[in-house]
Amino acid sequence: MRAPKLFGRHHTSLPCALASLLCLTGAAHADDASTWLEIETKYIFGFTTGSGIGIEGEKEFTVDTIGRFGKRDGHYAATETKYEYEFTPSQFVQIEFGALGSTHNIGAVTDLDGRNAAGFAGGFAEFRYLAVERTSNNPLSVTLAFEPNVRLIDETTGERVHNYEFETTVNADLEVLKNRLYAGFNLLYEPEVTWTAIDETVREATFGGSAALSLRIVPNVLVGGEVWYLRHYDSPTLSAFTGDAVMLGPTLYVQFTSKMFMTAAWNAQVWGREVGNSLPLNLTEFQRHRARLKFAWEF
Amino acid sequence: MFDQITMPRNLILAMAGAIALLYASPGQAQQAAEVQLTYSNSQFQPSEVRAPADRPVVFRVRNLDAKAMEFESKSLRVEKVIAAKSEGVINVRALKPGRYEFYDDFNDKVRGALTVQ
Repeated sequence: MRAPKLFGRHHTSLPCALASLLCLTGAAHADDASTWLEIETKYIFGFTTGSGIGIEGEKEFTVDTIGRFGKRDGHYAATETKYEYEFTPSQFVQIEFGALGSTHNIGAVTDLDGRNAAGFAGGFAEFRYLAVERTSNNPLSVTLAFEPNVRLIDETTGERVHNYEFETTVNADLEVLKNRLYAGFNLLYEPEVTWTAIDETVREATFGGSAALSLRIVPNVLVGGEVWYLRHYDSPTLSAFTGDAVMLGPTLYVQFTSKMFMTAAWNAQVWGREVGNSLPLNLTEFQRHRARLKFAWEF
Repeated sequence: MFDQITMPRNLILAMAGAIALLYASPGQAQQAAEVQLTYSNSQFQPSEVRAPADRPVVFRVRNLDAKAMEFESKSLRVEKVIAAKSEGVINVRALKPGRYEFYDDFNDKVRGALTVQ
């Protein structure tokens, strides 16, 4: 006789995820985290960025790919990869810069031209300043980050453009349990201006925030989840609201060696709305899913 | 002609000032507290050290072993490779009260800590 099903086929994922997290928490408690080395928090929260700025004199090369998938109809897949060099010239400042590459695979999406292309997409720089540092008496750490981007290919459509974006973020994190459990918070303001191939000027901005939790289950592996709330405006001054969305998903961080690590994250849009459109989700400014995969080598 | 010469000079001075501000930490004008450590037989001696709060700290680490070690600390945000039979000097910003762990990155079981009061 078959055992009765406690959950239907489509409702098993949440209990499974909760059971897995409980098992991981149990496994984590079996180990003594007080003997673990401190961890750099910058990349442990997925799309949410932690406050870490590295250590003075440290240099790092990273390949960071973000993929965006799914619009209202047709098929849509776009990626942007940062080839990034970062270094920490002082105990308060971190600087990064690099090149952007993008791919677009778009077909039969309303309002978007079909495209199957890959190419050099532009460049970026980032300046990070550690404003509040964590100590053994203060679990909170806060970093301010400014990231100008120049793009020659539009992130969403794949069209040739001149786009200038100035991403400004507050990256905060809290060590909830020593060496074990971390909470991350981001506040984002991202104004941008785009000149299209037909000489149109588009000014817009994204504003939002995130909250994330990351549990260190063994010294070199952290798992967690994050939620983002993002609002889009057709104005850098946040005066012309066009829609918003909530993205939710799991995160993973693996430290392979003391000088090499990876981070992975996946977010699904679980709620969204567009001004003037009663359909669920916001798939004009955002996407159904996004994923991040980043590899880094310190030297 | 005057403007052509002074404007770039002013710009350069402004940039130099901005860079100096970037690299400066609030405590760098104060006299640093010195912490002396030796590293021998794969151990820090002493492994627990103290320093006053709100003053920069200078670690002088003498590696007496026959192999190199890397003094590293995530919370102090410093790292330095110290060759065998030599001394390394590591400058740390003014610190707030707390406990700051350090270790040998080539053998991370070798640990120590700085207590700032």
